[in-house]
Amino acid sequence: MRLGIPVLDELLGRVPRGKTVTYSIDPEVEGDVFGMQTLYMNLEEGYECAYVTSTMSPESIRNRFKEFGWSVDDFKNFSIVDLYSRYVGAISKERYVVEDPTNLKEIDRIMSRAIEENDLIVFGSLSTILDVCGNETLDYFEEWKDLSKKCVIVSNFTVWPYPNEVLGRVMDLSNAVINIGGIHHRVVLGHYYGILKVDWTDVRGRAVLFKVIKPGGVRAYIPKILVTGPFNAGKTTFVHAISKEAISVDRLGTTVALDHGKVEYKGFTIDIFGTPGQERFDPILRVLGGEALGVILVVDSTKPETFPRAKQMLEKTTKFGLPYVIAANKQDQPKALKPDEIRRLMCLPDDVPIIPTVATEGKGVYEVLDALISLLIGGGYGKLEGKA
Amino acid sequence: MASLRERLEGVLKELKGVGDIEASAIVSRDGLLIAADISQSVNAEAFAAMTATMLGAAETATSELGKGIPDRVIVEGKEGKIIATGAGPKALLVVMTAPKANLGLVLLEMSKVSEKIRELLG
Ligand SMILES: Nc1nc2c(ncn2[C@@H]2O[C@H](COP(=O)(O)OP(=O)(O)OP(=O)(O)O)[C@@H](O)[C@H]2O)c(=O)[nH]1
Ligand SMILES: [Mg+2]
Repeated sequence: MRLGIPVLDELLGRVPRGKTVTYSIDPEVEGDVFGMQTLYMNLEEGYECAYVTSTMSPESIRNRFKEFGWSVDDFKNFSIVDLYSRYVGAISKERYVVEDPTNLKEIDRIMSRAIEENDLIVFGSLSTILDVCGNETLDYFEEWKDLSKKCVIVSNFTVWPYPNEVLGRVMDLSNAVINIGGIHHRVVLGHYYGILKVDWTDVRGRAVLFKVIKPGGVRAYIPKILVTGPFNAGKTTFVHAISKEAISVDRLGTTVALDHGKVEYKGFTIDIFGTPGQERFDPILRVLGGEALGVILVVDSTKPETFPRAKQMLEKTTKFGLPYVIAANKQDQPKALKPDEIRRLMCLPDDVPIIPTVATEGKGVYEVLDALISLLIGGGYGKLEGKA
Repeated sequence: MASLRERLEGVLKELKGVGDIEASAIVSRDGLLIAADISQSVNAEAFAAMTATMLGAAETATSELGKGIPDRVIVEGKEGKIIATGAGPKALLVVMTAPKANLGLVLLEMSKVSEKIRELLG
């Protein structure tokens, strides 16, 4: 089974049966979509999945899924553990109904059955059950965890200001904890997730920014990748080649302001900013350079005389040790230099990826993106290196 | 308490309807969208990047001429106007209006709002 969340799937691989995974959610972030996405992705895989609702009626939950484009009712392998309806005195037709949702023994009886009969249980809000039934909930949770040899339990847990021993206990009872939080100190107000703990594989990835898209769900988000390089190297062509949607402010065949592209790739949403190449526009480079998370330097492989300028642009845009990759463009031309020659002429360290591209034909452009993403995500996105 | 984003969005809501303002956004100086009150059909991220470039280029152009930093950039077209102004060192405020918008009123509201944004973002 997989979590169905971009990047986490690459880093964590398959979740072995018998494991519990907790999405530990900052109250300021609408994080319930994480558990829902995990459930839906596994429904599509054909696993028997049950969603435990304690905060919303089954109907509202179904509508909530629909907001993201997920019609759970099309799946026979979907069921709901209803901890809500009887709480508000409503009638429930769900497969699993708890008659008295304030009574842990009663919940336990139904949960045991659900765990027995499903491959995946997702708690829509474990914290709410804790709020209603008290700390004893976690004793039962431990039993469910022991019971679930064949099943994976995934929980959304909103981190209200609980006592530390409660939070510590939740952490201990989880084989993996994914932290979902908000960022306030930067100009960009974003949300991120990162792996806090995992015990079946040896990775600790960096935090990933994300966006929630309706429909679509959780997308890893990279708000700015800069595409820069000398005049006429093929930056604008490159941006258009990788983007689903792109616009450029070009006049007389050269970029006078910027290129902007939206990329959808491997669960990532990326905003790409292409810069002008000519020196007279360098003030714009300064305007656009801020807050980039990575740089793609496009060079015309047939023009070594432009490499010093390329190097200068790289220095202007990667001041703080920002990760970068080189697109050795125009490889369709007979005079094009090979990546190794470019590395030597530009005096670039051995570990800087230099990737041959033909932007006009879209060749190699996604390899460039792969290389940069793997530098950005660290922890060995793509090829697991086990580095933090 | 409302999050910073909610507060910024609240500030933008104040602008809605003032002197024919149709849409507004807060954009970081380097072109990232911070908050917006714009219809879904607009590519808001691209709009944000363009606006930052526009204001950045205008500021560079005037300061190169020794004319200091401009207060705002106003773009007038038959279909409407776009007005961008600084809102503190980190951000800028941009609005789109109907063609016949009352510019005096819009500018007055914008200066109030950009001051609030400056306080919120520092
Ligand atoms: N043969 C070949 N031509 C290319 C390739 N990529 C781009 N070009 C051409 O190179 C020229 C410049 O491409 P642009 O994408 O505008 O280059 P740019 O780097 O954005 O240029 P500036 O914005 O003016 O700095 C165009 O004529 C492209 O068609 C390539 O891989 N092979
Ligand atoms: Mg260009």
